[in-house]
Amino acid sequence: MARPQSEVKRPDRAIRVQDLTYAYGAVPVLKNVSFVLEARSIGLLGPNGSGKTTLLRALLGHLEVAPGSVSVLGHDMAREARLARRGLGWMPERGGILPDMSGVAMVAYLGELGGMPATDALQRSHEVLNYVGLADERYRLADTYSQGMRQRLKLAQALVHDPDWLFLDEPTAGLDPRGRLALLDLVNNLARDCGFGVILSTHLLADVKTVCDEILVLRDGRLLDHARVDADAEKQTAVFVLEGFGDLDAFAAALTARTLVPVFEERTILVATDAVMGPRFILEAASESGFALRRLQRRTETLEDLFFKLVDESGDEAAGALSALTGGEGGER
Amino acid sequence: MPVYERGYRHWEHSGKSATPPWWAIARRGIMGPLKRRGLLFLLVVAWVPAIVKGGILFFTYKMGELSKLVGGEWTDVSAAGFRSFLEWQMPWVLIILAIIGSGLITKDRQENGLALYFARPLGLRDYVLGKGLVTLFYYFAVTLFPVLALCIFGYLSTQGATGLEMLVVIPLKTLVYCILAGTSFSLVILALSSLGTRTVFVALWWVLLFATDGLADIMAMFRPELRVLDFAGQHVNMGALFLGGRPMDGVSPWISLVMVALFIVIACGILVRRIRPVEVVS
Repeated sequence: MARPQSEVKRPDRAIRVQDLTYAYGAVPVLKNVSFVLEARSIGLLGPNGSGKTTLLRALLGHLEVAPGSVSVLGHDMAREARLARRGLGWMPERGGILPDMSGVAMVAYLGELGGMPATDALQRSHEVLNYVGLADERYRLADTYSQGMRQRLKLAQALVHDPDWLFLDEPTAGLDPRGRLALLDLVNNLARDCGFGVILSTHLLADVKTVCDEILVLRDGRLLDHARVDADAEKQTAVFVLEGFGDLDAFAAALTARTLVPVFEERTILVATDAVMGPRFILEAASESGFALRRLQRRTETLEDLFFKLVDESGDEAAGALSALTGGEGGER
Repeated sequence: MPVYERGYRHWEHSGKSATPPWWAIARRGIMGPLKRRGLLFLLVVAWVPAIVKGGILFFTYKMGELSKLVGGEWTDVSAAGFRSFLEWQMPWVLIILAIIGSGLITKDRQENGLALYFARPLGLRDYVLGKGLVTLFYYFAVTLFPVLALCIFGYLSTQGATGLEMLVVIPLKTLVYCILAGTSFSLVILALSSLGTRTVFVALWWVLLFATDGLADIMAMFRPELRVLDFAGQHVNMGALFLGGRPMDGVSPWISLVMVALFIVIACGILVRRIRPVEVVS
């Protein structure tokens, strides 16, 4: 039986980043990034080169961040990174295999380096390889594994010392659709059922929607948004596009009377409202005001739409737009 | 099998104490190559000179005065005699460390393995200490361990005639010398190993370093003090300070000691610069 989380995990499992700034030479990579994360599943989104991997490395204590501070599991990463790393599991995007070792030997070895007794590490190695579905291949040399098996092996080595947080850098990169779903299934299980904090760095929004409760959006080293991904909110709130002819003012007044706020564009009216009851309210308002509707269409604005809007527009204008969709805290920058 | 059927179990600590990370690295680095038959064969062959010397010691003792007919370094059981033995072993130091040391860091860099190490609670010192102990062990396997075995055998076969010398003085002197020389050799091969991702090139550079003795011999024809360019020779010459014997022509053992210290400093500098958790894999 698995033990209750309260017995296993640390009291302070938060990640706190304050004014984090980092540059490779003269090239700034992270600019005044601040956030607080509780141990849940977090999607780290951003286009290539936005600073996602650098941010993960800063959280691992691999970088000396002069301005700003990073605290993980209650440890200041400038001084106590080694202590904090006992509670961190890292799955790198590229490589991450030790040659000339079998899968089980590699995971056990890395478990031992993670602070486990040798016998515990070997036992855990078998367990986590079974969990990720590599039980039958565990005695094969790790460098002969296929891409899908390598990703699972990397997840196993990140899990072996039973950390509080898992940092997964592009975990589904290079996987076929079936392999991708299987890996996301594992990550979902770890995040939702096993109490792990997960930071999933990716540019695949579908992965984030499958696994994550919150998202951090990075662009050009700046944190554009920190919001909760609430799948229900996406279902309940919708934007309706209206077209028609008649008395616009009376129609607007009738909508406002039903607590709906119309936004007038060139030839259309946009109304954000409840996805189920919204059309009924709109039709009632049109009937009451004598407005002849010739178009009533639901416009489903997805996470993808807003992500692209965020990273394409300037940060200030876009900030919070994602929160509007997701119904989250938003705008924590 | 679906995830929910496999289930995840949190780690239940057995209560046993964990080993330091450097020891885990060293143990894995030492034990792994011992599974290779080829390496075991080479190690056995590397002990042949020690077995021959032991046999000669035994028979010359039995022959009494006749031992003077064999004479020379093979029957010399003084510290200087063992220094000569260590010099004979230098080709084995070259071969064994090329095999063991060239891939120690190179292979970790090939597949971004350093990122895995440094995501764990260990630092650069743990990593280098662990890897260094691997090369030091194999250096000892062809130098210190045969000398210690010969000292014990010499003591037993000569019925304790030189007991204090054979069991205490010579082993201690050899230990100090081997630790210093072995540290230098270990750090230099590790530094070379950290420079690239191809073990064959690391081994080639290592061989070239040992080939500096030929270059130094040629240059010494013009100026004897240019023997200081002989990489392996400096380690041997430094041994005159600890074990006695005739030093290298034109180069004081103290100069050699300084050179060896310089090798260590340079190697450490390279290791600090090259071993980073952030690795770019093309």
